Amino acid sequence: MAPVAPWLFAVIVGLLVFGRFVLSPYLTAPALQTWATIFVAICVQALPFLVFGVLLSAAITAFVPPSFWTKALPKRPIMAVPIAGAAGAVLPGCECASVPVASGLMARGVTPAAALAFLLASPAINPVVVVATVVAFPGQPMMAVARFGASLLVAVLAGWLWLRFGRSDWLRIPSRPADAGSKWANFRDAMQHDFLHAGGFLVVGGMTAATMNVIVPRSWLDAVAGVPWLSVLALALLAVILSICSEADAFVAASLTSFSPTARLAFLVVGPMVDLKLIALQTGTFGRRFAVRFVPVTFALAVLVSVAVGGVLL
Amino acid sequence: MSRLTQSLLLVLLGGAVLRISLLSTTYLNYVKPGFRPFLVAAGLVVFVLGLVGVYQEWRKNSHEDEHEHGHGHGHGPGVAWLLTLPVFAIFLIAPPALGAFAARSEEVPARPPVAALDAYAPLASGQVTAMPLGEFIGRAWGDSGRSLAGRQVRLTGFVVPSKKKDRWYVARIQIACCAADGIPLKVAVLDADAPPENTWVEVTGTWVDPKLEELPKGTVAPELSAGSVTVIPAPVEPYE
Repeated sequence: MAPVAPWLFAVIVGLLVFGRFVLSPYLTAPALQTWATIFVAICVQALPFLVFGVLLSAAITAFVPPSFWTKALPKRPIMAVPIAGAAGAVLPGCECASVPVASGLMARGVTPAAALAFLLASPAINPVVVVATVVAFPGQPMMAVARFGASLLVAVLAGWLWLRFGRSDWLRIPSRPADAGSKWANFRDAMQHDFLHAGGFLVVGGMTAATMNVIVPRSWLDAVAGVPWLSVLALALLAVILSICSEADAFVAASLTSFSPTARLAFLVVGPMVDLKLIALQTGTFGRRFAVRFVPVTFALAVLVSVAVGGVLL
Repeated sequence: MSRLTQSLLLVLLGGAVLRISLLSTTYLNYVKPGFRPFLVAAGLVVFVLGLVGVYQEWRKNSHEDEHEHGHGHGHGPGVAWLLTLPVFAIFLIAPPALGAFAARSEEVPARPPVAALDAYAPLASGQVTAMPLGEFIGRAWGDSGRSLAGRQVRLTGFVVPSKKKDRWYVARIQIACCAADGIPLKVAVLDADAPPENTWVEVTGTWVDPKLEELPKGTVAPELSAGSVTVIPAPVEPYE
């Protein structure tokens, strides 16, 4: 049987060559170019982390036997959640890497609640992000401490909530390609499948974030900077819209000088857990029924915990 | 999506990434310079993954009859087609570095973080000091020692027109990681005619001391009285 897709592919390459000479001179509107710059920047910037996450996830699936996880994590799920959350501290990456890794863990039989705690914690509490936060807030070491504590707390709470109220039919545990023979063939298959899948959804998130970036004026935000509750919510929403990589968001938070420290903490806690590209990635990986429940709960938890921790520490 | 298409898609995407990172400096329009090795590595992984896939398909097709097993999973996710969009954007729109459009708003957003307040070294008198826009803004607003007063400085950036008649802005985008987190830094230039929008310029001049003790920090761009304006080619590294 002759698949149609390679022909479609030839059409795409033809369009690229044709368009480069015929269309490019017309694609110069400043708004379009700015949109395209931000869109490509988000994709390009996330790509190495996505590749790293997919490599790690494929390695977990292909080379780590399931028995390893049953030994490494406590038997009781209620204990496994905080351990898995704290284990997030060792994966140096941003949120794009953690989604495929978490799905790889679930496919290998790790309790979903524990894998979700890992998913939420790891982009916010790993050493690279902690160091970036310390550097971005010179003379305010408590910001990094508050970020670490609040993020871990949200991750563990969300994991426990899933354990208590979550239903397994909401969550689509990603199916693995059938066994292709050797471990290396499995590795390659898993990697190609995960990368194409997550990459497609990353593009959805990148397009949404670039659009919001271009059409929502920053001045709207500055208008609410003075109102305490509103400013926390505004920065939490900004974190969702901007979809900045968790390794860079501290520098952006530091530049939002008109906002209170608690509002900026909310920005740092929400960003790595809920943002547009992450919502697209989670929807693609775990299913829509999962995302419509998990995303709002995580957002609410992140805002509340930020306010509480910010009130005590900052 | 057949396995061959999946592999070709990976080759195309990996090739596009290598083209902007390994074969040119286009990547500087999107991310920080330090990001290059990671981009090259990621591009290579994707490119090689695709090549291996294409090779395996080709070999499999030449042994078609003896190959029966394991192709129920050959269909990849349709969403992967979206991965062609960044490739289209890179080749067709060739997105430039953020410029005057991104810095257009009259209001200057919140001040960039000042490394350590009042830790600025004094500037030499009688000579022109080149400095980044961020440092100029920091010295203008955050320095109680008024180290800029009476000193000649040279600033580099692109031209952003202003609604006010007597001025234009020399601006540069500051990024922490990628262009999505860009913050425009702007200094108002007085006493000089505005070059066309988005032209890169070097402006030499002196700071205009606002003579006010309490200013609404971060809402007004500091002012520079220009002595000379030189048009320069766009720098390789467009961001600050």
